[in-house]
Amino acid sequence: MVRSLFLFDMTFWLYLAALTLYIAYLFARRPAMALAPAGHSTDNFDERDGAWATQLGQIATLITVFGWIVNTGALFTRAFERMQTSGTFAPWSNQFEAMAYVSWAIILGYVLLELRYKIKAIGAFVVGIGFIAMGAASLLPYRYQTAEPLVPALNSYWIYIHVSITLTSYAAFAMAGGLGVMYLFKERAERRGSTSRFYAAFPDLETIDELGYKAITVGFPLLAFGIILGAMWANYAWGGYWSWDPKETWSLIVWLIYGAYIHARMTRGWEGHRAAVYAIFGFLMVVFCFWGVNFLLSGLHAYA
Amino acid sequence: MNGQSDAIPGQQSSRSPAPRLGWEEFSRELVEFFASIKLAMFLFLFIAITATIGTVIQQNERPESYIQEYGEHTYRWFLRLGFIDVYHTWWFTGLLGLLCVNSLTCFYKRFPGVWRSMKQDRVSVSLDFVKGMKQQAEVSIASSKEVVSQQLAQHFIEKGYKVLAKNDPGEVTIYATKGVLGRVGAHMAHLSATVIIVGGLIGTYYGFQEFGVCLEGQTYHIPRGNFDIKVDKFWIDYHENGSVKSYNSTLTVIDGGKSAVTKTISVNDPLVYKGIWFYQSSYGDSWDQVEVARVNIKDKATDKVLKTVDLEWHKEQAVADLDLKLSITDFVADFAFNSTEKKVFSKTVEHANPAIRLAVNERNSVQSTPWVFYQFPDLFDIKESKYQFELVAYKPKKFTGLQIAKNPGINIVWTGSTMIVVGITLSSFIFHRRIWMKIVPAPEGVTVYVGGTTHKSQIDFQREFRKLTDKLRTFSASPS
Repeated sequence: MVRSLFLFDMTFWLYLAALTLYIAYLFARRPAMALAPAGHSTDNFDERDGAWATQLGQIATLITVFGWIVNTGALFTRAFERMQTSGTFAPWSNQFEAMAYVSWAIILGYVLLELRYKIKAIGAFVVGIGFIAMGAASLLPYRYQTAEPLVPALNSYWIYIHVSITLTSYAAFAMAGGLGVMYLFKERAERRGSTSRFYAAFPDLETIDELGYKAITVGFPLLAFGIILGAMWANYAWGGYWSWDPKETWSLIVWLIYGAYIHARMTRGWEGHRAAVYAIFGFLMVVFCFWGVNFLLSGLHAYA
Repeated sequence: MNGQSDAIPGQQSSRSPAPRLGWEEFSRELVEFFASIKLAMFLFLFIAITATIGTVIQQNERPESYIQEYGEHTYRWFLRLGFIDVYHTWWFTGLLGLLCVNSLTCFYKRFPGVWRSMKQDRVSVSLDFVKGMKQQAEVSIASSKEVVSQQLAQHFIEKGYKVLAKNDPGEVTIYATKGVLGRVGAHMAHLSATVIIVGGLIGTYYGFQEFGVCLEGQTYHIPRGNFDIKVDKFWIDYHENGSVKSYNSTLTVIDGGKSAVTKTISVNDPLVYKGIWFYQSSYGDSWDQVEVARVNIKDKATDKVLKTVDLEWHKEQAVADLDLKLSITDFVADFAFNSTEKKVFSKTVEHANPAIRLAVNERNSVQSTPWVFYQFPDLFDIKESKYQFELVAYKPKKFTGLQIAKNPGINIVWTGSTMIVVGITLSSFIFHRRIWMKIVPAPEGVTVYVGGTTHKSQIDFQREFRKLTDKLRTFSASPS
């Protein structure tokens, strides 16, 4: 137990370091070229960044990847510890582990995003959310952090797939939320005609908007799959695939909220500002579904 | 999930400026309304908002608990609006029904177009159409019309596109498309809503869910399946630290007098027989049977405990040195007496006032069946007896709580579920791309006008489009 908790702790500090570096990256000095007006193409940031900014960005990425590896290690260690005590190895069997897994998925998502689109400015927001998830986990009291044996209802192979898929969808929605915040920042800067170098590394609004939309289109089918796996599990454990339990209902509510978003994107006027605000709202609903329901509402999911 | 922004000119529905009040017009408007994305968004959000009610207000509680928590006036409103059973009110069901109508109408209105574009698509478009697209470029190539069109076709085929070409006098039009499956996926998801809800309704009307409290060794008739079920055993497994690992019941199905199946069920591992599922749902202390009870035998004269015996249920035990025979014949967890029927029964299932009925046979001369109370040891006294009996402890029999359910709609629900997951996944990850190219002869070689559109994932399409135009420019450098 101590071993995995140490690694989780280390992950927390590494993510904090990465986040600090990503923010420093935004503030770092860039050559005058980099202050070119917004609307630049997104592909050649590396050349335009100043030396300082480039180095900071590289270190930030390295620390993020390292933190993610430690996070992976922590989850594996926890899996082995679980094997010995509770007969399952799913390292997402309580609130703490679930949070640590969500931050793992967020960071993985971010690293993949950076690999593909090479936009480091997003790190300050998305790694930020990953860090907050990890931080919230480590704030939980110690008794929530240990690998207690599972209650009989949870002790099933369904936990491997239902929980991980649902949590991965939450991570995707978290990324969309972070991108939504970033959009609003950038939009405010543009409206004020800000020439601060802080915003120079931000991609243009359209790109942020599209990436946020993409994150939601990843989360949306995952959540559908997660809910359905949950229904299948409930059919085995509780004697009915749907019982309007608060957690079930809230996950459906979250899905419907994003369903409305997906459809809204097809109509005019639902990209940009409105979509960003909506993505943040949706993410807050995810947070409620994940945390609020467990602590505020009673129901069959009360144990997790 | 179809974009409207990328409709091809000429295919747009031509609305008459002054609507007539004919049936045709009316039905078109009706389809328009029910297929609209606005209605879908409204339904999604409205269902989401109303669904929260049932998570905040406890559902299907007794009236008293609502009155206590919210007051009588509010409770009346709850009743009126159905807030104590939101998910089964007519209006909530109506919203779900409307969602089905919405998605089905959308399918009816839009799928034929998708189907047509799977089979055949528009190739020839005007030059202005190509130039007016969101992604468009103009590239001059020092090469011939035929070579360029061949190279382009080759390029798109390698990229997995479906390519169609049209040779008009003076120009060649090439049309390339990919990912129409994304749109098919969206419509699959639309159909799935109805499939799931139909499956759910079948389950509600033709299925059942019951709860049975069963004792070890007893056989119970399951009328809906016309077979019997015998509970062989119930037990609990524990982890090393004392927390519960699993609840288990061994069940035997007896069908037509013969035992058909024996299975040990536990939470997450039900028994299924003839479409009826038996779940390990709960357990508890029986209220009318004990496994064993500990009785003190006191000497009335000295008030001293002479002996302590553990009596098993319905088993006579001889206490040789006191010349006694004892057995337990009855048990109630919460003693009550029905004076009209002259019967003892358990008021509740709680062990609030437990009592056993002892059959005492003393020296083969004094025979008595007193009720011995756990909480009131002096209540009953056998006058002729030398002894006083005290119930000091007992271990109730455990009952196993079985959930018995049948749901004939379940496979339909799973079919719909598969459709929705596959459908949304296709629609999320595959996006429909359409690119038109017009190759027009120019003074030096040809000019290629490229225009492309997608209904989502603009950023990826933008990258792809930029690569395409870069590729186009290389054509002139290396004519093959």
